[in-house]
Amino acid sequence: MSELELTTDRTQRIKDVLWALTFAGLVAMLLRFVFGLGATTNLDDRVPWGLWKIFNMISGAALATCGFTVGFLGHVLHLKPFDRMVKPAILVAFLGYGASLFALLFDIGLPWRFWHPFVHWNIHSFLFEVFWCVSCYFVITFLELSPTLLERLGLAKLRGVLSKAAGVFVIIGITLSSLHHTSLGSLFLVTPQRLHALWYSPIISLLFIISAIGGGLMLLALIKTLHSWWYDPSRVFGGTMVREGVVCKTCGGDSENGATPEGPDLHVVRALVTAGAWVLSVYLLLKIGDLVLRPEARAALLAGTWESVLYVVELLSAAILPVLLVLIKPVRRSPYALAVTAGLAAFGLALNRVDVGIFGYFRDAGELYFPSAIEWVITFGVLAMAGLAFFFIIENFSVFDDRWKRLADSELKFSSSFDRLTWVWNHRLMTGLERASLIALIVLPLAWITLYPPFLESTPPDTRAPLAVDAARDTLRIDANRDGLDAVFAHTAHKQRLGGEESCVNCHHLSMPADRATPCSECHRAMEAETVIFNHEQHLAWVAEDKELGGWIPENQSCVECHSGQARSAASAKACMECHREDMHAVDPANGRLAQFAATSYHSAMHNTCIPCHTENALTQNRPELDRCTTCHQFGVPEGLEENLQMRELVEVRIRRQ
Amino acid sequence: MQAWIDFAMGPLFAFSLGVMALGLLRHLVLQLDTLFRRKRSRLKYMPWNKMLHDSLEWALPVRHLTSGNVIFSNASFVFHIGAILVPLFYAGHIVLWEQWLGVKLWSIGNGFADVLTVITILAVLVLLVSRIAVPRLRAISRNSDVSLLVLILLPFISGFLAAHPAFNPLPWQTMFLIHLLSAEALLILVPFTKLSHIVLIFFDRISEIHWQLRPGAGDRVAETVLGKEAKV
Repeated sequence: MSELELTTDRTQRIKDVLWALTFAGLVAMLLRFVFGLGATTNLDDRVPWGLWKIFNMISGAALATCGFTVGFLGHVLHLKPFDRMVKPAILVAFLGYGASLFALLFDIGLPWRFWHPFVHWNIHSFLFEVFWCVSCYFVITFLELSPTLLERLGLAKLRGVLSKAAGVFVIIGITLSSLHHTSLGSLFLVTPQRLHALWYSPIISLLFIISAIGGGLMLLALIKTLHSWWYDPSRVFGGTMVREGVVCKTCGGDSENGATPEGPDLHVVRALVTAGAWVLSVYLLLKIGDLVLRPEARAALLAGTWESVLYVVELLSAAILPVLLVLIKPVRRSPYALAVTAGLAAFGLALNRVDVGIFGYFRDAGELYFPSAIEWVITFGVLAMAGLAFFFIIENFSVFDDRWKRLADSELKFSSSFDRLTWVWNHRLMTGLERASLIALIVLPLAWITLYPPFLESTPPDTRAPLAVDAARDTLRIDANRDGLDAVFAHTAHKQRLGGEESCVNCHHLSMPADRATPCSECHRAMEAETVIFNHEQHLAWVAEDKELGGWIPENQSCVECHSGQARSAASAKACMECHREDMHAVDPANGRLAQFAATSYHSAMHNTCIPCHTENALTQNRPELDRCTTCHQFGVPEGLEENLQMRELVEVRIRRQ
Repeated sequence: MQAWIDFAMGPLFAFSLGVMALGLLRHLVLQLDTLFRRKRSRLKYMPWNKMLHDSLEWALPVRHLTSGNVIFSNASFVFHIGAILVPLFYAGHIVLWEQWLGVKLWSIGNGFADVLTVITILAVLVLLVSRIAVPRLRAISRNSDVSLLVLILLPFISGFLAAHPAFNPLPWQTMFLIHLLSAEALLILVPFTKLSHIVLIFFDRISEIHWQLRPGAGDRVAETVLGKEAKV
């Protein structure tokens, strides 16, 4: 097995998943813009931010700090093992910040106005500062990365200029990063009444930047290890890595003593993890000090709530375990243990930001925020896009190594010979556009039907039955949506005024078959949505029984009893009253056909019954107060609504008179 | 049962139509990509006239219906008429296209659709029997060639029975669900099986197989398609 096939093997499955998530994300992004935030997310006025802002933006930016820390260690201090990691660190920062900003586009209500903070300055807002720093830093990371990209694309002159300016970029980057990481913490400083006592701390900005520096270094160590695992295991994992029939060329080593020869890059990983652990130990000391000095935090920790458990898990993963693990010598020598340490710290850092932004923040919202499917899919879709960009850049540019130069010559040449189908499947379909498009054609429709909001509509909540229960009362208080603000309806008075028993049909337009006191909510089941009230399946059997149809299966003969014409659809069906002349009561028997076999929303059913009559009487009896919202709704009519409606009415009346 | 029918007519139909449309689009794009990117240098040698001539001739293959296995060829030709017209222009389907794609197609009369459906079913049966019983045809038939024919039978038969209650041995809903599910299975299979010739047929005339086979490649065709040496 050649090296080429081995490497495609190790990353292929990951890339497949990333492509699938990317395509699902694209569908979710489209749906988010078509249907809006309210319909596609579980965010509302009480939970104004969620997964995108906290996980993608705040956690993402925190994890991408390696760009400026390693840039500082390598470029400014010229420390030995770190200078080799500057390019990967900048790539991680570029993609991390890019993904954060991209996810933010879906979070803000009017994404096309994302540039407004550049022009309209609100110098009192921490977010204003964060926005400026993050967007400027993103540009800086791109400028820092560009010499690497230009190396392959040519343009040597431009590359020279950019390389010379690298030092300046690094310093600007360090400034911008330290500014916005502290500001992200300060953001929560202004909400002591919302943030849980465990996380609300006067030094939260300091905690934010220190944990971000430590966790960022850990993430870079993890990425370096993974890169080696995917492309060249001997670099980090050493020479004896024999797996899945891979015969390693550098298997020499000190086999007599049974010791594993170290990979030549393991010391880089170790240096990153150790540096990260040093920073995290400072973070841990600050955290402990913070806990000791704030009595309310101590009380909250001992309270045994699930927040205190979360806090312990977070601190264990983010600081305690990584620091302790690095103290153990075998851990420092094992690439696997180092990867686990780095992974723990990175996970703990992300969890910390989610704790501060979501778990510790929305207690008072009264309900647990759980992101909707579309929120999850966009979150991971954006991350997957960044992942694919990562793979593309490291495979085609000199970020970690000069791999692309070696592979450029050995690329598979297209063969015009008649290929075996299996060969086509395994090789031509296994890479690039062909494979990605194959994933797309499954994932795109699947994501569409699982995320498309109209397909997800659950059965609307039933409204209370106002008529059947309250028929005997003089005055009905109708509060179908149960918001405590009821409309008052003088039922008996209306009956007398409109002409006694015979006037019932004026409002009660249609009853269920064989039922004379059908409550409105029996058919108008949802407050704002239409309800399908026609049971097609049952009708097949009812019609067959009623008409005494014969044949093998009587139900099968019943189609033509109602449907005429070529196509059997709702449009070609009979009106209800044609059969239900005896047992249903309708105002106008000829008009007893149910439009679309659906009942309108409860809201419009009520309004459309009352308002036309009231409007007419307001005009004919010259009693304008009859036509006001407050005639029925004594409370809860929004201010200004009435005036708007009346303006509209006036215009309509004027048009009618003309 | 009604819930299953609603699901099959709603999300599942959208899914299968999406898979088919995207899959065919993918074939189209990859074919054009192959043609223009990888073969640009050879395009000038392409026998454009012959390709056009062949394509038009195969659209109405009168000459090919009178030679070779006449029964098989004619059954295949007749089958394609019904297989294209009935799914697209049957009155009950037009409602579906209007609902999902917003296009109003013309309708063939229900009586004509019935006749076409019966003819199509008979044609498929002829093709099926030929592929199994005639040794020459059997030798060049893959498993998928036979099983796809069986799968194609299902929506035609179930659709016919659902529309004709008098002959229907099952409850209407059951038959209709079978019709929906089998037709949707076919739609999903289109991009992954030889059914993709819906789009690829237009590229057959310009594919490498047609105009630049190497000398002796014919022997390898059978080997490639069948995975074994053909005994024809």
